[in-house]
Parts: sequence; structure tokens; C-alpha cells
Amino acid sequence: MEYTREIYWNLGHGVVLPMYLFSMAAVAVCAWGFYRRLPVYRLGKPLERLDQLPRRAAGMVRNVLAQSRVLRVYDPGLLHSVFFWAFGLLFIGTLLVMAQADFSQPVLGVVFLKGAFYKLFSLVLDLAGFAALVMLGGLLVRRFAVKPEGLETIRDDYVIHSLLFAIILTGFFAEGLRMAATEIGINPDLARFSPVGLLVGRLFLGMTPAHLALTHKILWWVHFFLVMGFVAAIPFTKLRHIFTTSANYFLADLGPKGAIAGIDLEDESVEQFGAARVTDLSWKDIFDADACTSCKRCQDRCPAHATGKPLSPMQLVKKIGETAFNTPEAALAAAVGEEALWSCTTCRACQEICPASIEHVNKIIEMRRNLALMEGAFPGDEVRTAVSNVEVNGNPFGLAYAGRGDWAEGLDVTVMGEGGEVDILYFVGCYASFDKRNREIARSFIAICNAAGVRVGILGKEEKCCGEPARKLGNEYLYQTVARENIEVIKGYGVKRIVTTCPHCFNTLGRDYRDLGLEVPVEHYTTYIGALIRNDRLALRPQQFDFTYHDSCYLGRYMDIVDEPREVLAAAGGHLTEMERSGYESFCCSAGGGRILAEEKIGSRINVARVQMARETGAPLLVSNCPFCLTMFEDGIKTGGCEGELVVRDLAEIVAERLEKAAPAQL
Amino acid sequence: MKILVCIKQVPDMESRFKVNAGGNWYDESDLAWRMNEYDEYAVEQAVQLKEQLGDAPEVTVLSIGPDRVVEPIKKALAMGCDRAVHVQDAAAASKDPWQIASIIAAYARDKDFDLLLTGMQSQDRGSAQVGVTVAEQLGLPCATTLVGLAYDNGTVIAKRELEGGLKGVVKLKTPALLTCQLGLNTPRYPTLPNIMKAKKKEVLAIPVAELLTEQELTGTAGAYPPPKKGCGTVLEGDLGAMADRLIGILKEKTAVMR
Repeated sequence: MEYTREIYWNLGHGVVLPMYLFSMAAVAVCAWGFYRRLPVYRLGKPLERLDQLPRRAAGMVRNVLAQSRVLRVYDPGLLHSVFFWAFGLLFIGTLLVMAQADFSQPVLGVVFLKGAFYKLFSLVLDLAGFAALVMLGGLLVRRFAVKPEGLETIRDDYVIHSLLFAIILTGFFAEGLRMAATEIGINPDLARFSPVGLLVGRLFLGMTPAHLALTHKILWWVHFFLVMGFVAAIPFTKLRHIFTTSANYFLADLGPKGAIAGIDLEDESVEQFGAARVTDLSWKDIFDADACTSCKRCQDRCPAHATGKPLSPMQLVKKIGETAFNTPEAALAAAVGEEALWSCTTCRACQEICPASIEHVNKIIEMRRNLALMEGAFPGDEVRTAVSNVEVNGNPFGLAYAGRGDWAEGLDVTVMGEGGEVDILYFVGCYASFDKRNREIARSFIAICNAAGVRVGILGKEEKCCGEPARKLGNEYLYQTVARENIEVIKGYGVKRIVTTCPHCFNTLGRDYRDLGLEVPVEHYTTYIGALIRNDRLALRPQQFDFTYHDSCYLGRYMDIVDEPREVLAAAGGHLTEMERSGYESFCCSAGGGRILAEEKIGSRINVARVQMARETGAPLLVSNCPFCLTMFEDGIKTGGCEGELVVRDLAEIVAERLEKAAPAQL
Repeated sequence: MKILVCIKQVPDMESRFKVNAGGNWYDESDLAWRMNEYDEYAVEQAVQLKEQLGDAPEVTVLSIGPDRVVEPIKKALAMGCDRAVHVQDAAAASKDPWQIASIIAAYARDKDFDLLLTGMQSQDRGSAQVGVTVAEQLGLPCATTLVGLAYDNGTVIAKRELEGGLKGVVKLKTPALLTCQLGLNTPRYPTLPNIMKAKKKEVLAIPVAELLTEQELTGTAGAYPPPKKGCGTVLEGDLGAMADRLIGILKEKTAVMR
């Protein structure tokens, strides 16, 4: 017996013409639906996203076919991915049928859906349909029964779920009816290769052949029109993500993580800075809204959202889209909410997890730029004061700039202005320079360098704030002013290598200053110390301790430095108990995005929330790698009532206490 | 309508002050400079008035000093002043308030300013005399320590801060001079377009010799840091005992318990 089936069984080849006409109509509606969205994308400013085509294509293929970003959140990700793969197989199956029935067989006389290949084809499609049904059921239960917090269900979701269920079920019924008439009991060896179709087909064995044929014909057409409806509905519902999210992988930002486009302050023809209206954003920022699937993964991870502030990265992206499509002339800050904009800590948790490769953070910075540069706005008067302090004294505290190097008095450190050979320039940063608690980081780092025989130089009173908080608050002018002054000083000393203890300085000097002409390699002290240990330049005397570790946003998510600090702490004798949110999923301390200068007036305190997470590990010690984090956690431990249960220390302090040489007082 | 705002560049008060070699003022090394706080209120008030009157007033900002005073002049222009005068004087710091006021008066005498605004005093010398002396020399009515201002058609209603938390309200006809106090307004942060525009605004430089005809009336004899006083006492130990000791100290050394 031949293993194949008659394509268009019971329908006749007369269906081909109407089928293709309807198909073309559906595809045309789909194309038209997208075409009419194009002018809205074009409202945005130009942005180059079609360079490096092979790399872009590879990224898209990986993320679409392997569902890499979708699977980062495992349970719903798996449901979606398996559904996607199953649906993809069914689509390929349909294409194969089309290729044979309408091309290879009539034109070339070639039939390939036969024999063993047909058996495989039959089995795979049958199981794919079943898998799609089960996954869809899982997604249905999640959305309508489990109802995860924050998941919004709209008209589209009812339409999509109904359509997909109907398509799969009518498919199985059409298959079952055909098998009842042509395979079950006639070709049992083949019927086994469609197990689900077989089960369904058995339901119809009592029907008369005429009834079977009529029912099959009706269901086939219903199935067909449902599929056509699906195709046509794509651009008009969330189904558009099939194309827009895939395209977004292609259009992703390939630059260094966290890079922000500078503003040409010399160009006197520019009169609008930042994004006041949606037309001041790039076309990609508008397109992002169309790529959003409302999966709310960003919102789940947003520290501002988690503590009752009016920011949801998802809603922000959506509101930009709504504004672009409905009221493109409207003021953007009012549409998304000024408080929402100022609430962002630029922690990047949203962007890191986004399965659609949406770029949230720079949109916020563009809108902040408008508020800061065009309106002179700040999130609060305390921020205005701090920013003025940076202008006058080069630090947000308003302390005398001449005292910036005072912390190093009596230490073996060279002040660059006073001459002398150095191996590294230590860019100290404002907190480690002026803040009493954070000066311990600077002193510890010097003790470590001394023990390793590294000659350290500092700029002393010639160093200024790196400008990071000002930049993230939208004040590009002040950022570039201080950055250029720092760069000129650093270049003047012919420095070969820079090490920072602050991840914010590290990101700014190492990445952002590149745009302004600084080429010197910049390192964070955690990796620098790691290398000293690995290269046997630094010997530690390990002492056991239990701890939990906080990945600062600007070291982990922004710079992918996750393992090295843990290795250093392990070498120091540490036993690590991880918090639930760690590594790339770390929860911000609250101080990023310039929020270090601002009071947290809305909702509960982010730093207290994070300190509670640390306490829940049971470890008595929280180790941080950032002066902002240290400051926030010292405060969070006090205000969150964790005194006596938890202490926070910087990685440098832990290492400095365990130096083999130099023997600090504690040993 | 024409408005003149007089501003002074002063060291940031958090700076490390050292007495200069002459022993009569502070040394200028290691100082961070900024616009005198009270003068910022004056600039802001002038710009607010300009906005209130639909851009009609022309606001001139004036500062006396070495080249570095162009910095606060630029800031005032970025905040919204229209034009600037820089009276070039490398030795401005050694001039007494009478001389400074004379320079300003000499400049303003024939310019028909309707309103002159100054800070109520400078943060470094703190004489609080320049504004009132300018008014005196020009024969203008003057109100000091403004914490509120309403202008309407040539009449200024000024709210003044008095001693002991009292406020006084005075009415003046322009031309007049007003000195500004903390609480009058919140100085704006210059926007970037205005910073760019400020770069193109006119800064008229006038050598001080062209305006100064007066000799100093009050010389500065000496400058010195305040003598270090005894440090505070920290009480430690049992709470009750500390309270007893505190009561004892208050009785012996102060008048609060009598």
C-alpha cells in the first residue's frame, strides 16, 4: 500500500483558484495593515539601524528561531517557544503541501509527500498540532485562570486565543474526518502516523460517507477562513509582534551596552534638545512600541514600579506608541508622566530582560534631556542644589574642590600634579573622595595596590565629578563640560591605565568618554584586583566569612562583570549565599540614573527593599562594589531596621583586611 | 523700561579660605567662584519682570572685577538678561563699598534705568552698603531686603524682611533701587538654548579708570580667621546621670534655668 494521501481530497482541484485568491486577499490586508503604520514610524528622527547586516541577520535568526530572549523567563517562555516551534512546523507543512500540490506535481510531475517521508511528515505535523494545542492551553490557563499580577488582558487576547484554538481544532477535525473516510480501517499502518487525527477520526466512524464528506468540506473551509482571518488580523492585533518583534531583533542597538548618543553642543542651528514630542525621538523608539508584546517582564523587574512609583517601562513604551499613533503633537513628558520619568534609576533591568529587544532607558534619558535642557527642570530642589554644586566645586556635596584629595593624606599615593611615576591613575570619584564612609573604599584600594607593589596616582583637586549623574538626569551640557575638563587633565599627564572604584565612573570614563576623545583603558577595581590575584601579584590570607553579594547595575548588567567579583571574594575566604535576584537579574539599590542626588519621595524605599532581600539570605554580610550602593545600603540597613542583623561592606574592604603583606591593623 | 542688575562674583563659602600675603583679605588660590547668592535673586527678579511685561524691559547686568567675573555675567545672560557690562578691575576686591557704589553710579547716571536691582549684600564682604549707596549717589528711592515684589505701571510694591520675623510693605515710584533677599524667588536654571544665546550677547568691557573718581572711605585694616573656641562637651554614660549633669551645666553656665 502506498503511504501518501490525496491532496484536496473531497474538495477537488477547483478549490485552488478561490483558495489562492482568498489567500492573496488576506496577505494584501496584512501588508496594507503594516503599510499604513509606516508613516507613523517615519514621524521619528533618522537613526542608522541597517549597518552590519550579517550580524543583524544572525541576531534575528537566533532570537526568532531559538527564542533565546523569550526563554529567559522559563515557564511562560517555554509555552510560547514550543507553541512557536509547533506553529512553525505546521506552517512549513502547509508550504510543503502547497509546493507539491500546486507546483511540483502539476508542473514537474514530482510527488515527494509519499513513503517514509510522508510518514514522518504526517507524524511531525500531527504531534506539532497537539503540542501547539497543549501550549496554547497552558497560555490560556496562565492568562485567564492564574492571572499573573500586572498582565493586562485586552480584546486582542480574546481574539487571538479564540482564533488559534479554532484553527488547531478545526485542523484536527478536518484531518480526523478525512482519515475516517480514507485511512482508518483502510490503511491502518499509515493512520498510526497521525495519532491525534486517528483519535479524532474514530469519533466519526459511524457517519455515512456522504455525511463525512460534507462535514469535512465545511470544516476544511472554516479552517481555511480562520487561517485567512489570522493572517489578515496580524497587523491589527498584538499578533503584529510576529513581524515587529522579529524585525526588532534585526534593528537592535549593536553599540556598546549603555551608550548614549551625545549632543553636538557646537551646532548652533539646533534649537530643540531632547524629546519634547514623539517627533523628537527616533523612528526606532516609535517602532519599539509596536514590537512590545505587553509581556510585562520589564515591569516585574522595575525597582521603581516594585516600590509604588508611577513608572512602568512597559506602560512608558506603550504611551509613546499611543502618542505617536493618536496625538503626535502632544507633549511627551505629560503623556508618560514627569514623575515616571524622574523615577527611573536607569538600572537597565527592563532592557536586559525584554524579549523584544526594546530600548527603554535611552528613551527616558531623551525625555529627561528635554526637561533638563529646555526647561531647567530637576526631580527636586535638592537635585538642583547638588547639580549647582557640581558646577561650582565639581562634586555634588558642595565641598571645597581643594579638599578632594585629602582622604589620601599620609598614604602612599602620588598626586599627579606633584609629579612622579605611576602605574595606574586611580579615578577616585566624588563619594570615595568626600564621603566619610566611602573613603574607606579608597583607602582599602590603596592598601591593596601598595601590597601588590602598584604605584597609584590620583588627580586630587584636579579631578571632578565624572558627570554621570548629571548626564542621566538629562543635563548633557554639564556632563560634557566636566567630562572635557577631566579628559584634558588626564591626557595632560599621559596616563596609561585608569582604575575606578565606582561603576558609574567606570562606565562613564571607559565608554562615554571615548566619544569625547579619551582612549586610555579603564578598568573597575574588582577585575583589576582579580587580575592581581590571578597573576600572583597579590597574595591573600583567606579568612572564612558568610556573605551575600549585590551586583551593582552598572557593573553587572551594563558591563557584564558578574563572576570576577565573586571569584575575588571566594579567594578571600567567602561563602556566598545568593539573593534571589542576582547577576543580570539584580535589583537596583535606588541610586542610579542620578537618583543618588534625589530624595525618594514617592512610594516605599528601594534601598530598604533590597536590604530586606539581603537579610532573607540569612548571611550577616552584604558585599557591594559601588559607592552609591554602599551609601544606599548603609541607609537602608538603618531605616529598614536591619541593624545588628546585617552589615554592608565594599569588596575592597574585605580584600584589604586579608592582605598577606602590608598587614592592616585588623590582622 | 530699562533695568540694571548688579552682580558680584564671590568665592563659594565652602572653599578653603586663607588670609592673603598682605594680611587684609583672603588669598585667591584654591577658591571656587560663583555668583553671589543674593545677586542671583536680583537677576531672577529682573528676568521675571521682563517676562511679566512681555519682554518690553531691557535688562542690563553689570559686574566689577577681573576677567573671571565674565563667568557669572554669562550665567546672568543665560538666565535671561539682555546685555552686560564688565567693569574691568583687577583690584576690585580691595575697593571699599563707597568706591564700588561710585563706579556703578557713574555708569548708571546718564542711562535712565527705571529699576536697579542688587543683592542685599555680598557673601564675602557682607557690608550690605553697595546697593543703598548707589541709590544715595543717584538720588533714587530705595528698599532693601526684598522678599516680595509686585510691579505695575511705574509703581513697585515691595515686601521687606524686617527683624524678628516681621515683614514690611513699601510702595515706591520708579526709578528706584531694590536690594534682594533670600525668599524673593527661586533662581532659574539656565536652559541650553539660552546658554547658547548668551554666548552671542554683548558684553561691554569698560576699564574701571573711566568710571572711578572716588577715594576709599573705609580701608580694610586686617583679615583673620575667627579664634578657635573651646570645643563642645560630649556627655557619656548613664542616661539619668547625663541628664543630671546637663541640668547642672545649664544652671551654672547659662540663664535658661533661672
